[in-house]
Amino acid sequence: MKTFLFPLLLSLLLSCLVLADPDYNERLDLQPLTPASLLASFNFRSSAPLISYERQHFKYIPRSLGQILQHAKTRELHLRFTTGRWDDESWGARPWGGAKEGGTGVELWAWVEADSDAGSFARWVTLNNALSGLFCASLNFIDSTRTTRPRMTFEPSSIGFNASNEDLYLLHGTLPREVVCTENLTPFLKLLPCKGKAGIASLLDGHKLFDASWQSMAIDVRSVCPSDGSECSIEMEQTVDMVLDIERSKRPRDNPIPRPIPVEGLRCDESKSYLQEGACYPSDVSNGQSWTIAEIFGRPIQGSCLAEDSQGSPTDSVYIHVPNEREMYIYAGTETKHPSGTSRSFTLPKSEPFEMVLSHIGPQSFNNHSIPPLYASRSFTGHGQERGGVQTLLTNPSTTSPISFIYFETLPWFMKPYLHTLTAHLSSSSTPNPHLIKETFYRPALDRRRGTQLELLITIPAASTVILTYDFDKAILRYTEYPPDANRGFDVAPAVIRLLPPFGDAPEQGSQAPVYIRTSSLLLPLPTPDFSMPYNVIILTSTVMALAFGMIFNLLVRRFVGSDEVEGWDAAALKGRVRGRLMALRSRFMKGGKEKKL
Amino acid sequence: MGQEEDVGTVVGDDKLVSPAKTTKKPPSESAEGIRVRGLVIFSFWAIVIFLGLPVWLWTTSIHRARLPLQEMLDWADGKACKSTFPLQITIEAPSIQEPEAAHFVRMTQHALDDLNEFSAHHLRLRLVKSPSLERMNASIPALHGLETGQDPQPYGSLEGQDDSALTVRFRPQNGSQPARVELHPHSAIMDVLYTQNQVPSVSSSSSALATFVANKLQELFAEEQATIAYILSHSAASAQSTGQSPHISSTTSSGAREIRSRPNRSINPEMAARLASRMTRSLKYAPTYHVTISLFTPSASPSSWDIEAALAEYFTPLLDSISAVCNFTVDTQVQLYATFSPSVHVPEYDAEHGVWTLQEEDLSGFINAAEWPLSPSIGAGPTLNFVLYVPDPANSPLVVKGSQASSWLIPQWGGVLILNPQDTNATSSESTLSKQALQPALLTFSHQLLSFLGAPQTPPSLPLQLQTLTRIHAASLLLSASSTMGSLARLTVALPSIAIPETVSIAVDTTLRHLRQTCNALREGKFSDALENARIAEAEAERGFFEKSMVGQVYFPDEHKIAVYLPLLGPIGVPLVMSAIKELKRIWASRKARQQST
Repeated sequence: MKTFLFPLLLSLLLSCLVLADPDYNERLDLQPLTPASLLASFNFRSSAPLISYERQHFKYIPRSLGQILQHAKTRELHLRFTTGRWDDESWGARPWGGAKEGGTGVELWAWVEADSDAGSFARWVTLNNALSGLFCASLNFIDSTRTTRPRMTFEPSSIGFNASNEDLYLLHGTLPREVVCTENLTPFLKLLPCKGKAGIASLLDGHKLFDASWQSMAIDVRSVCPSDGSECSIEMEQTVDMVLDIERSKRPRDNPIPRPIPVEGLRCDESKSYLQEGACYPSDVSNGQSWTIAEIFGRPIQGSCLAEDSQGSPTDSVYIHVPNEREMYIYAGTETKHPSGTSRSFTLPKSEPFEMVLSHIGPQSFNNHSIPPLYASRSFTGHGQERGGVQTLLTNPSTTSPISFIYFETLPWFMKPYLHTLTAHLSSSSTPNPHLIKETFYRPALDRRRGTQLELLITIPAASTVILTYDFDKAILRYTEYPPDANRGFDVAPAVIRLLPPFGDAPEQGSQAPVYIRTSSLLLPLPTPDFSMPYNVIILTSTVMALAFGMIFNLLVRRFVGSDEVEGWDAAALKGRVRGRLMALRSRFMKGGKEKKL
Repeated sequence: MGQEEDVGTVVGDDKLVSPAKTTKKPPSESAEGIRVRGLVIFSFWAIVIFLGLPVWLWTTSIHRARLPLQEMLDWADGKACKSTFPLQITIEAPSIQEPEAAHFVRMTQHALDDLNEFSAHHLRLRLVKSPSLERMNASIPALHGLETGQDPQPYGSLEGQDDSALTVRFRPQNGSQPARVELHPHSAIMDVLYTQNQVPSVSSSSSALATFVANKLQELFAEEQATIAYILSHSAASAQSTGQSPHISSTTSSGAREIRSRPNRSINPEMAARLASRMTRSLKYAPTYHVTISLFTPSASPSSWDIEAALAEYFTPLLDSISAVCNFTVDTQVQLYATFSPSVHVPEYDAEHGVWTLQEEDLSGFINAAEWPLSPSIGAGPTLNFVLYVPDPANSPLVVKGSQASSWLIPQWGGVLILNPQDTNATSSESTLSKQALQPALLTFSHQLLSFLGAPQTPPSLPLQLQTLTRIHAASLLLSASSTMGSLARLTVALPSIAIPETVSIAVDTTLRHLRQTCNALREGKFSDALENARIAEAEAERGFFEKSMVGQVYFPDEHKIAVYLPLLGPIGVPLVMSAIKELKRIWASRKARQQST
């Protein structure tokens, strides 16, 4: 239960805020994860009445995105840009319960209104092409082989309209190879009402964001029709989560090269038993770190952005989760300490910069208490260019309750799994346990048309590890199907794991935010040809054909005679003839010369 | 003689060499063997020439659909169609006796013809016996109620007015005032008020009233005439053909008249300049335009505006009235923190007028294209942008230096208006722009919209303006489609390696068919038919010209071809060619021998 505390707390706080200002609000959560790393969660929410959105009167919902969604008849959109890997072991549970992050690269899923499967796919392609232009990402490469229609993994977050309508189709696509970078951040910021010029968005800078250990940008658009019958609205949420390495971020921008720390500045781990005079073992627990916002993000927050509630009083936009006893200083703005004792919030001044100093004096507290509900890691097994295997380790850390979840994997068509080899067994026993996998949804791949879709409902008993394995064949691609730099390997999209609420208390937690976990993506080496192959093939076949032709032709055309009967090719005669020619030429030249002389 | 000697030496050589060096001679070949060898070589060559070569040509050829090139060029040069714009003007003179009225109409027509300098566009008068009878003939009984109507035609039903561009009603008036005309602003009717004694008798040869009416009519259509003449001459000038301005050349044989009918003569320079500026600023015709109205402000306020109500009151009625010619979609957006582009100078304070001023040369760079999200709307049709800029209170009021204007046009793109809050005291401090504050802006935008559509200024009657728009658009679409045809034809000729798919050929056929229909409809005075056909022709022409598969040209460099062909053709070609030469030599020699023996 503890594990749900963090996301629950956040969602509760957010729901309070949503009530305060219906149009726009933003919020920055700072949470030290370990002494060396800091999680910064930026969240921007805007909403508009559904009617004015449909009439194309845009205010805080950006026109560029709104028009795309209307053109592609998209009712709900989720777009993720992620780089790096969330380190479960040291950072604990994921922010937002993993609901606001995607797999490495770009991930997109949407509910599209259409009258048939084919129609929904056409709209999906339209949507991808348009978003590709808007976000400068290769989303237009999400074709039928990268598109799946998950059955159990995703549920619409829109409230109030009937999601099980016949005319709504869920489509999901991933681009694990996409490199997320500044060109994706710039359009992301342009969608915000204050464009990154004011408010917490002024901290978002490509240099810092893409230097982070892990970062995820998310856009969610959904429609909300309150059950009390008030008017429907459309809600857009933009989220940026990043885990900053504090030491790394504090490096000055004009002098980013790391240099040796002077001896006085070294932080040594004195607890080692083998510590000797003059030796220093660097301590990773840098207790008593102090930092300021400008140090970490490169600049202070540039005033507030529309941070006023309907009464005109400023709302809190910056939250930091450290014990109340830790000393902090702020310049401008006001501070509120929350009764929970581990968090406090700040309002931003209207137009002057906001700066905050977290001193090293006071108790430390980190995210250690929030153990993730599940550990998942996936890797390739086997060797060779022909076949291989996938092994996923799923660990339930809870000592008391079993956990059940949906494991969703999409594999490219050139990776051909054998479903009969799919087995799950507990790490304690070597024999497969058929009761672990409760349900399987499998959609086999079609060559060059669609990928494999695999959805499993798995239950893991308390405090145990399940090993899920299957074997696959590697297909051989056509010459033109290899991407540039084919020897790097082919990315396989991360598996998505959706945790189901515990069976016992499912009813009262029905409205709880879903919890997702994503594994890292895999790099699949495929047999790659030598790319000068076509010319080699042309020359080889030509040679063979020429040989065959020459033989047959000569057999048919040549006359065969005894070796002593061969005509011509008499060396002496040839010599004589050449000499004769030369003499003739010479005499002609001589003659010409004489004539000239004359 | 020399021939014989040559042969003799060859024979002698043989005799000389063979007995000296060779001990054995191959057995003489049978005639059958020689014949078979000849046949083998011949059949190989036959296969190469009659099978190999055609297959090679067929597999490497580029598909080029047949295009009616000459006809396309004719259209581009204006030889295919002499566009004429005969305008029917209905004369209703119930109070004048029939023979007198007919005579009067004839006289007016003569006067008109004398006034008209541009023969392609001419007015044809037609006398209608009585208004009620005419209406009865024209309309079905269900519309009977309209027959008495003062304002019978709504703007939308231009189709019903195909026959007559304008109705001139003669209404007698008492007293001895001079004749005068009254143009109805909301219907295509012009009243001529005259006194009974001004009507000429059947015998009279001149009449002041006829000249007066002719002058008035000519004046009414002068701008339209000039515009059409300008469009036609402009296209003729840009056409490459030497047969200049065939569209406008008079059908009469008189040379003097032809020269006089050159539009450059009939338009005075001032008018030409005005037309040129109007033509460059107006948008190309499209069935649908997207109108985007944006509120930009450099700070956080005003953050909202009462645009929906303001649009409904000040803008939508205009759009509804134009809907017969083209459709509009309207969307709006609010953009905060919109800064000038760096190239624009900082506004200067003009102490004399107490205003902040912008440099006039900065106006073209006022729109910060890199930062402001003014991307075109999704969907077919051009986007018109109207930007409402509310300056920072510190820089307010902001006007253009020199002219003190606060709004300007950006040709073919949209309009900009700087809304200084001082204009309306209500908005100076609030964050919402009220409907009243938006009124001047929307009225300015309405004017700008009309000028973007290319609407003429002069006839102050809206139906007449819309009819003029129809004719202008039909003419410009006809010319644009024709010139696209010409470009396509020239492109086809200039690039022999470009593939021309069948779809292009179909598009060209459709275009030409609709162009012919447009031309005929223009000649018959069915202008809305003409516009409809011209619209299709233009769309098809563009589709054919921008055919996707034509854009990527198949091109293989020559060295590439050699690299592919040589490994095969070298080893096969050499024995084939050598054997053929040998065989030809043998045939040559045997023929010689036979000649000699005979």
